[in-house]
Amino acid sequence: MFKKTLACTIALAAMLAAGSAMADTKDKKIALSNNYAGNSWRQAMLKSWDKVTKPAVEAGIVAAADPFTTSENQVTEQAAQIQNLILQGYNAIVINAASPDALNGVVKQACDAGIVVVSFDGIVTEPCAWRIAVDFKAMGASEVEYLAKKMPEGGNLLEIRGLAGVFVDDEISKGINETVAKYPQFKIVGSVHGDWAQEVAQKAVAGILPSLPEVKAVVTQGGDGYGAAQAFAAAGRPTPLIIMGNRQDELQWWKEQKDANKYETMSVSIAPGVSTLAFWVAQMILDGKEVPKDLTVPFLRIDQDNLEASLATTEKGGVANVEYTAEDAAKVVAGK
Amino acid sequence: MNQSFAYLKKQPWVWSFAAALAVWLITIAYTEGQGATAILTAALSFATFTIIVGLGQMMVITTGPGNVDLSIPATITLSGVVAMKVMDEQTAMIIPGIVAALGAATLVGIFNYGLIRLLRIPPIIATLSSSFLILSTAISYGRGIRIKPPLPLSDFATARIFGVPLSAILVLVISIGLAVVLKRTVYGRSVLAVGQNMRAAWLAGMNVDRTRFATYVLSAFFSGICGIVLSGFSGGAALNMGEEFLLASIATVVIGGTSVAGGRANVPGIWGAALFMYLLVTMLNTFGASAGVRLILTGLMIIGVIVAAGGEEQR
Repeated sequence: MFKKTLACTIALAAMLAAGSAMADTKDKKIALSNNYAGNSWRQAMLKSWDKVTKPAVEAGIVAAADPFTTSENQVTEQAAQIQNLILQGYNAIVINAASPDALNGVVKQACDAGIVVVSFDGIVTEPCAWRIAVDFKAMGASEVEYLAKKMPEGGNLLEIRGLAGVFVDDEISKGINETVAKYPQFKIVGSVHGDWAQEVAQKAVAGILPSLPEVKAVVTQGGDGYGAAQAFAAAGRPTPLIIMGNRQDELQWWKEQKDANKYETMSVSIAPGVSTLAFWVAQMILDGKEVPKDLTVPFLRIDQDNLEASLATTEKGGVANVEYTAEDAAKVVAGK
Repeated sequence: MNQSFAYLKKQPWVWSFAAALAVWLITIAYTEGQGATAILTAALSFATFTIIVGLGQMMVITTGPGNVDLSIPATITLSGVVAMKVMDEQTAMIIPGIVAALGAATLVGIFNYGLIRLLRIPPIIATLSSSFLILSTAISYGRGIRIKPPLPLSDFATARIFGVPLSAILVLVISIGLAVVLKRTVYGRSVLAVGQNMRAAWLAGMNVDRTRFATYVLSAFFSGICGIVLSGFSGGAALNMGEEFLLASIATVVIGGTSVAGGRANVPGIWGAALFMYLLVTMLNTFGASAGVRLILTGLMIIGVIVAAGGEEQR
């Protein structure tokens, strides 16, 4: 009896060690609940999901991996959508949530129904769910750290923030402001909301620029760097060092400046392919693997020397991206 | 002098211009004169987009209570995406791109009025639901891809003559044209008459249907122009490029002194209101006000201007 159990355990352990994803999840269904699709980042996120999950379904790793997006970026609508997904009998729901706490009720319902809930990007705080979070504060801090190294003499900074009232905007801005406080040679002389959109950023920067003294650098949140560059050009002011956010138009502009006058900056943002990491994490949990509830994904940074390589792999009009394989996901889970 | 002042005071559009001027003066007082003209130039370039969609919204609202076009943001996005995709960065394709984008926008207007007239859906619901369809079309057609405008188009959109943006001059010409249409043509008079009393206008022998139809198409067409010029101005079309114009288009109409109850339009007011809204945000940004404070003050000031402008109209 003991021998048999031992043999079983060893067999199981061997199977787990081999990382064979086929084992238990071939009849499991995973759903993606997404709250918004109206910008290029979200479009890239959905595209990555399709690109990785379709082959996974064909290979029989899971039975289904269907994406669902709500039309209005609203909590009530997403809650109703998740309730439908529970009734439809999905085994796992991967969520990009409209709110960190307003969906907790319905997430709890899903957990109680025995469904694995994995949230990413827009995470939920309900303890029964898994969270794949980005350290946005560290992302903001990294921008200022870069500037401190690049221009030790310091200078005036213009901050472009994201969408007011959103958790991500507060976190990145906190990271930027706290780090600026550490380097007294920098001073934020203006702060505008660019809503992560080029048009809005361009408009806001054009408005505040005439009233500002010389700006040495612009700290951003992604999706706003190109608009800022255009506003500076339109005002006839020298182009400052603008931190970019991995959008193709931003990288393209950076490349043109680099070729023309050796312009130097860096670019940082979250890869939309984080949705595929969430997919593999959900699959691993369904497979019975031990996964910690809180995971952190690294952000994707592009520097002067890998600009060309990143630009070449970024689709025209898209966002620099990385998609995750099952092995990559296993590494993130193991904390490497 | 006194007479002309009294005349001016009665014009509802004066208040929006006065407010815009006041906000501008406060801003340059704060910056001690730095950037006074640069702020004005920026205000003119950005207000242009709000003005053009504001004019369309004004016509729709003037056709009477309940008439409003909520599909403006989606139409802007669709037109921008279609224009950029057809042009595909080639100068030779600019004209076909403009034709295709304006054609798509016109179809939206026809579709909107079809919902309102044939299916008898209230305009607010009809244009809101059609905007979902339009945005979905834009998403599936463009797949979130940002294509740059051909160089001549972006040159046109950002060009200036003696510091005045060329696009502002284009919109000025359109505005004057529209003012003449409202005052001097059968269509313009019909819009006002239908807005004052649809049944009376019908009994008087006007073609109410044709008037409303033309107005919804006109609004969509103006959104189309906005989408094309805006994509040229900001270096490409994006799925969220129209978002901010929903509230802006309605607010400019109301602040500009056009009657929300319909029947009375005001073209110059749209200009004053659009400039005021842009300068207001600029002022609060210059003061370094936080987003919360900025939104509260924006709301309060808009209410203030509306109260000042509409005070004498209560009967």
